[in-house]
Amino acid sequence: MTRLVARREITERVQGRLLRVMTALTAALVVAGIVIPSLVRGPSRPTTIGLVGRSAEALAPALQRSAAAAHVRVKLHSIATDALARSEVRSGTLDLALSAGPTGVQAEVKQSLSAADRSLLQATLDEAHLVQTLARAGVPAVTIASALTPVPMTTRALEPSSPDRQARAIAALAASLLMYLSLSLYGAAVANGVAQEKTSRTAEVLLAAVRPEQLLGGKVTGIGLTGLGQLAIAAAAGLIANAFVHSATIPGSVWVLLPSFLVYFLLGFALYAFAFAAAGAIVARQEEVQFVTLPLGMILLGGYLLVYAAIASPNAAWLRVISFLPPLTASLMPARIALGHVAAWEIPVDVLIMILSIYATARLAARIYTAALVRGGARISWRDAVQLRAR
Amino acid sequence: MLALAGVSLDVSEGEIVGLVGRNGAGKTTTMRCVMGIVRPDQGTVSWLGHPVGQADRRRFGYMPEERGLYPQMRILDQVSYFAQLHGLEVDAANASASAWLERLGLKARAEERLVALSHGNQQRVQLAVALVHDPSLLVLDEPFAGLDPEAVDSLSQVLSDQAEQGTAILFSSHQLELVERVCQRVVILDDGRVLAAGTLTELRRRFPAELRVKVDAPPEWAKALADTRILRADQEGVLLIVEPGVDPQTILRAAERAGKVEHFGFESGGLIDLYRQVVSR
Repeated sequence: MTRLVARREITERVQGRLLRVMTALTAALVVAGIVIPSLVRGPSRPTTIGLVGRSAEALAPALQRSAAAAHVRVKLHSIATDALARSEVRSGTLDLALSAGPTGVQAEVKQSLSAADRSLLQATLDEAHLVQTLARAGVPAVTIASALTPVPMTTRALEPSSPDRQARAIAALAASLLMYLSLSLYGAAVANGVAQEKTSRTAEVLLAAVRPEQLLGGKVTGIGLTGLGQLAIAAAAGLIANAFVHSATIPGSVWVLLPSFLVYFLLGFALYAFAFAAAGAIVARQEEVQFVTLPLGMILLGGYLLVYAAIASPNAAWLRVISFLPPLTASLMPARIALGHVAAWEIPVDVLIMILSIYATARLAARIYTAALVRGGARISWRDAVQLRAR
Repeated sequence: MLALAGVSLDVSEGEIVGLVGRNGAGKTTTMRCVMGIVRPDQGTVSWLGHPVGQADRRRFGYMPEERGLYPQMRILDQVSYFAQLHGLEVDAANASASAWLERLGLKARAEERLVALSHGNQQRVQLAVALVHDPSLLVLDEPFAGLDPEAVDSLSQVLSDQAEQGTAILFSSHQLELVERVCQRVVILDDGRVLAAGTLTELRRRFPAELRVKVDAPPEWAKALADTRILRADQEGVLLIVEPGVDPQTILRAAERAGKVEHFGFESGGLIDLYRQVVSR
């Protein structure tokens, strides 16, 4: 019977246009999230600088030294005239044009001079001025050259970040957002389905043939499998897109992230679906579903927002602790896996806690569902619902 | 709040029993008890001598007062689905669903969604859902509500045919003329109690009847009759209230002694009159 009920839920949704539209939209969003960044971000290129006139050309060695010291790549060109330089800056051939005159050095750019370029040019000019001043003061060229040699400096990162940290953060956010939207959407589908069956008295006709637990289990299973199928299609579309563009936004751990995401979706959905079903059973009118399910939606939203804190402090102890709280596990764990800060033992412990929580929630929800589904009158409060007994 | 207080009734195979009463009398609650939707605090629901279980209820057909089906589901799929829930295999469920939709005049609309159908046609689909698995017992709550006369006749015929095949049928209705026409027995509920139950003949014998007698004499002849009183006298004669047990022949002889009897006949005894008398006591 449960299988029959589940099959009906799947069939109704698959035949409906909404699911197909949502699946296509979700897949398109995932693909766009992978393809667009690879199109927008090209490989880094050197800053092209046009040097107008001999005075500006004399700055070339200093420019090369300053760029080397700052680990910046520059490409210098000699430009014959100011007009030609301006034309090439406007067309984008040059990033900036330098000219030197009696009043000083002028840098011409198309819109604005970046802070990095400004630092580079200022360092160059300062060095040139220093060299000139020392030379006028009679300091030998060898001494000047020795003085201009960069002082070696080493750096040590106390908490080194992974080379693809940004990509992992994006993946964590994307996974969390997708989890939040999926659990909210499919949880609401369960609540609305139950409410519709209750308020239309379809439940009474159904209960003549099936037990309430079979009805509840079939509905949760059918809608859950529908959601899983939709996410699997979106994930497959993303993987195919990634194979074509090799987007750097997808970390190498994608083969761990994707299956774990689907597993946590199933666990999270099972936990929330039973709660959403109980919510749908306690309403008196279909319009009350949104109000009754609001607490569940808030918890889901809270889980999503916590991911931002997780990105900022991926190793925080408090984060590890709250990841074990069943209502937050599905939101946080895929994100933490994407960030790469999950110990191997955490996942099986998480899964075990979730399974136990799902069992407890299902039992409570089934009791509420059975008693409330055919109960008339006004909407039942959550407190009263917990105390209900089947009549 | 007390919904039912000691309601007892029975329905036999092949029998159609009508459950009547005003709004809030307990008709729907009674039916929901039969279907296991609500559990009575006391008492039992038995089928073929044993307490009703889930397996028995799967052999029942139910039609709640609020038409309860999936609005976006195609009607053939929907009827077949409910047949499968009641234990039919897929092929048998599809075949039975098709047959019932054809019988109820919905074959041409089998692929349409329920929401696209009129109220009357949706009710036919609901009836198909109740009948598709060949139930042993039919429990129908206000099945005729909102139907046009043609649909009423059609549904009445279906119920009669089902009863002839041995299905026990219990249905509620406010349309007493219809109940009188279709049912073999009637149960009258009020305030959660059974006020009267039985065939119309049995009920008539328990309650006073209205007898009109026209004699070409003043009505005083009737004043001396025992267990009889004059309700009114007009140019059509006298309308007498005759208590149960009174032999009409006694009244006839008294009328003949008074004068020439131009008319002698019972005017009441229909379910409407009986119902009014029952609930007014």
